[in-house]
Amino acid sequence: MKPSVSEAEFDVMVAQTGLPLSTEQKTTLYDAYWMLEAMIARVNTPMPREAEPGHIFIAEVR
Amino acid sequence: MDEFLTIAQASQLIADKKLSPVELTQACLDRVKQQDDVLHAFILPTQERAMSDARAAEARVMAGLSRGKLDGVPIGHKDIYNTAGIRTTGHSKLLEDNVPERDGTVVRKWAEAGTVMMGKLSTHEFAMGGPSFDLPWPPARNPWNPEHFTAGSSSGTGAAVAAGLVLGGTGSDTGGSIRGPAALCGIAGIKPTYGLVSRTGVLPLSFSMDHAGPMAWTVEDCALLLQAMAGHDPSDPASVDRPVADFTVDIGKSVKGLRIGVVRHFFETDNPVSPATLLGINHAMDVFEHLGADVRDVTLSPMADYHACGSIILTSEAYAVHEPWLKTRFNDYGELFRDRLALGGFIRATDYVQALRRRRMLCEELKAAMAGFDILVSASQAAEAPLIAEVPKWSTMETPSLTMPFNLTGYPAMSVCTGFGAGGLPVSMQLIAKPFAEATLFQAGHAYEVAVGTRKRRPSMVLAEAA
Repeated sequence: MKPSVSEAEFDVMVAQTGLPLSTEQKTTLYDAYWMLEAMIARVNTPMPREAEPGHIFIAEVR
Repeated sequence: MDEFLTIAQASQLIADKKLSPVELTQACLDRVKQQDDVLHAFILPTQERAMSDARAAEARVMAGLSRGKLDGVPIGHKDIYNTAGIRTTGHSKLLEDNVPERDGTVVRKWAEAGTVMMGKLSTHEFAMGGPSFDLPWPPARNPWNPEHFTAGSSSGTGAAVAAGLVLGGTGSDTGGSIRGPAALCGIAGIKPTYGLVSRTGVLPLSFSMDHAGPMAWTVEDCALLLQAMAGHDPSDPASVDRPVADFTVDIGKSVKGLRIGVVRHFFETDNPVSPATLLGINHAMDVFEHLGADVRDVTLSPMADYHACGSIILTSEAYAVHEPWLKTRFNDYGELFRDRLALGGFIRATDYVQALRRRRMLCEELKAAMAGFDILVSASQAAEAPLIAEVPKWSTMETPSLTMPFNLTGYPAMSVCTGFGAGGLPVSMQLIAKPFAEATLFQAGHAYEVAVGTRKRRPSMVLAEAA
């Protein structure tokens, strides 16, 4: 499988993280990035607008 | 002393003054000396502390001042649990010289219960990166065959308990790090309900997914250990303020009428398990039916939904913890940890929030599905332990995790050994209960262990050393 972004686009994404990756490390992550994209796509399927996150807390308790 | 004792057995013998805690501790230290050059279960054995603890326990017992069932019992702590004055490394170069000033809450509670601290146990780096061969300490090896993986991240605890180097130990479980090594090392391990056990003084990986819990040779021993771990701790924001149940109260009771739901699609289609693992689970269900339980299948969302949601939350939260070091000391981490976690830098805030929203929906689904059941059953690991040299870097992403659904939802889940596969290595099942119903897990797991007798067989290398 291939990521949806090009290697050049991925380079920009890496630069935005500020991580000091070598060329080899960037390639390793690029090759694996499609798996993260697949997981992100899976949690971004439609859900009701009012669906609340799991972290909503009770003010009196916390 | 060649005999391998469970905590329950040792506790009774100590109480009856038929076993000396000093003698028991010396036997465990001897096994560490004999086997740990191969197993690498320990990062730091603490012999002097162990003997000091053992002598103190013995004095208490002889004076009629025993602190209870764990007094004089040798244990170890995963090396992400802070121990005052004793190095706590996270199995990482980044904390190679880290010496905490205070014990973590669980470490303190077990010490107060009279346990004998044998030392600090190997882990995957920061409870995530392993098995790694580029860290200051080697990875733990599986006592059933040292060429094979222990799973992780509580790898040292799994190996040490299986080999009898300790009678029990601490683990932590963010995506399966107690249940995985318990499964591959052929022992029992429970991830309790989120909030039941304090995480204070445990190096964080993912705040909303981290659970502290015990690992031991038997289900009953896990119950005894959990009893001394659980309870409200105001210093942990996730700690639940409610009375602690008696976790042993239902051990030995019949499981007749227990309603068991088998999440068959998790381990037959979503992440198909090995024939031996499948056989073990199916046989266990036959055993439960024979004991009078009502066993039916139950269907949840695809396991990949739970896995994706949990992985995004875990990776995002862990990235937030480690980002400062990732930016400044990237190459001081081991390759597995830094590469796996670096992906967290590409997760957008909106993806994290969407995962949190999905999490609530999946929690509600699981709650509804469990309404008609007392426990659910799935697999803990897909197969016997693979060769340690052949564990893929992206193993945690390539296939949906069998354990992640219950980190995501916070439900208590326990790994129980069901037997052995063709390679002579253990296979297992996973039992899941409703929140704070750990006693039901212990009841069911113990009934199974007693009915099948899986606890009689120890690793062959251990027996060879003892001969």
